[in-house]
Amino acid sequence: MVHLAETEITNWAVDLIDARKTYGKNIHALRGVNIQVARGEIFGLLGPNGAGKSTLVKIMMTVIKPDRLSGTVLGRPVGNRKKLAVTGYLPEAHRFPPYLTGNQLLDHYAALAKVPRDVRRKRAPILLDKVGMSQWADTRISKYSKGMLQRLGIAQALINDPELLLLDEPTDGLDPMGRRDVRRMLLELKDQGKTIFINSHLLGELEMVCDRVAILVNGMVARQGTLNELTEHTAEYRITADGDLSDLRIQVERLGCALSRSMIVIAGDDRKIVNQVIDLVRSKGHEIESVVPKRFSLEDVFVEALGSVSETSPMARPPNLQ
Amino acid sequence: MQFGAMIIDSLRESRDRKTFWVLGGITGIIALVMLSVGFGPEGTSIFFGTWHVESSLFNPQSEAGAARILGVVVYMIMDNFLGWIGLILMLIATAGFFPSMMSKGEIDVVLAKPISRPKLFLYKYVSGMVFVLVQATAFVLVTFLIVGFRWGVWAPGLLLSIPLMVLLFSYLYCVSVLAAVITRSTVAAVLLSLGAWIGFSLPRTALDTLAVFPELDKNSAIYSSMRVLATIPPKTTDIAYLSARWAGAGLSLDIAPTSAMTGPGGGMNQDQLDQIREREKKQFKVSALSSIGSSLLFEAVVLMLAMWRFCRMDF
Repeated sequence: MVHLAETEITNWAVDLIDARKTYGKNIHALRGVNIQVARGEIFGLLGPNGAGKSTLVKIMMTVIKPDRLSGTVLGRPVGNRKKLAVTGYLPEAHRFPPYLTGNQLLDHYAALAKVPRDVRRKRAPILLDKVGMSQWADTRISKYSKGMLQRLGIAQALINDPELLLLDEPTDGLDPMGRRDVRRMLLELKDQGKTIFINSHLLGELEMVCDRVAILVNGMVARQGTLNELTEHTAEYRITADGDLSDLRIQVERLGCALSRSMIVIAGDDRKIVNQVIDLVRSKGHEIESVVPKRFSLEDVFVEALGSVSETSPMARPPNLQ
Repeated sequence: MQFGAMIIDSLRESRDRKTFWVLGGITGIIALVMLSVGFGPEGTSIFFGTWHVESSLFNPQSEAGAARILGVVVYMIMDNFLGWIGLILMLIATAGFFPSMMSKGEIDVVLAKPISRPKLFLYKYVSGMVFVLVQATAFVLVTFLIVGFRWGVWAPGLLLSIPLMVLLFSYLYCVSVLAAVITRSTVAAVLLSLGAWIGFSLPRTALDTLAVFPELDKNSAIYSSMRVLATIPPKTTDIAYLSARWAGAGLSLDIAPTSAMTGPGGGMNQDQLDQIREREKKQFKVSALSSIGSSLLFEAVVLMLAMWRFCRMDF
């Protein structure tokens, strides 16, 4: 038997096992998701719309009840009130009471998070300053733009000085400067030892800040790992030679490669084939100019993951137009 | 800390609604109208002395006159403005509390805080009551002070109208909350709570109406079924009687029901009027414990249902 005190010292800030959720009878939002997020890392959850990303985060924040789930958040079972007090959350498409000012909103949510009055009174202006909202602190939220609401949302998520921060599409509605500010803030928070869980469909955003990512497709984790692990495989080799290689077309295609004038593209990272192609090119008297291995980008991994799940999941297939 | 935050938030929310200011405005207008009327041993002055009616009917120095003044306050002002127009406005003002808290994007942030759903539900419910408490207190306090200072009748029992009004509101608010939790719609909450109010008052009102026809068989099916339905809580109509009875408490004043102050007329003969007076006297002596107790039981059941639903919902 594992005691709670022991589980609290686990390295995982988030350790979700077999998260399942079905809406109605047959809308399977999550089909047994396992996700681990280490303490102090920035973790990105990627996925197309409707993949189940928000459902997973909402389950962690007790907004949605799972059909099945074991595991822990900050070493305690999901939904533990003490741990919610040290978790910050920014939901996607959040809506704040329009009758409050920025200051009042932070004070209200801080009180709900049980932050003592003197602490929240000190912390609110600091956070508003951090997200560039100081001058709007006493303006009613109904007058805020989308970007301002997003900034306020981030300040709200930080008001309880959380150990774990869950951000659902944090850069939504922000201009490029705002996005850069958010990225900088996330890295600062990471340096302070916070764990950050980001939900996004913006690959570029995640690529810039995340240590590890998981790709969620159709309610299943299709890929999970560090950015290096996911992108270390070579996607293809490109061999360029002098002159026209059309005379090699039949042999090249027989090896499963594509040829376009003076370039041969070899899909995958099978070095044996690469050497065979090089030998073939040289045997015909052509001179090799370059052999360039092209690594996967996160986007390639994402698209590939999407494709692999599409092939296995009948739900993800496009309708048969014929 | 969390409770205080919810209360403050609800007060801010209600202050943002027009109905809050309309209610305040109504209180102000009624206070002005009351101030414009003066009762004395020589008669009644109207509109700050512009008109004068000579009559000792409302002489505050006599017991009967004081009772009549309190009767006017309870039955005409409290019942009609606070217990009718005010209550409708309060139901409209508070009907949006739950739907707005449960709206997508807003509920996510609240549920992510370390507060359990039953607590959140109860705090929000009480917040609605606090709003009504503030409004009812303002109205009754102003009325109490005017009746005392201007009309010379000090009736501390009038202040008991505050909890009674909050109680009456709570009977209907629980229905509003149940409707809001199920439908997440402010309009549905308003319509269903007003519909419920009509439904709760209908049997008693129907009995009152049927009583005007003495030729009607008291053992008829419709009469009997109305009598049975009138026993089902919540007993919203009892509040007016309790309010009248308690208004004169401690003053040895018997605040007579409306019909006692009127004579035959409007198609009623003396016999019919006597019957109504007899029945009203009985209603006037309604048991506070059984009326309020059974109504609170009803409220508790409706609230439990709403809370159960709220706690099981996905957002």
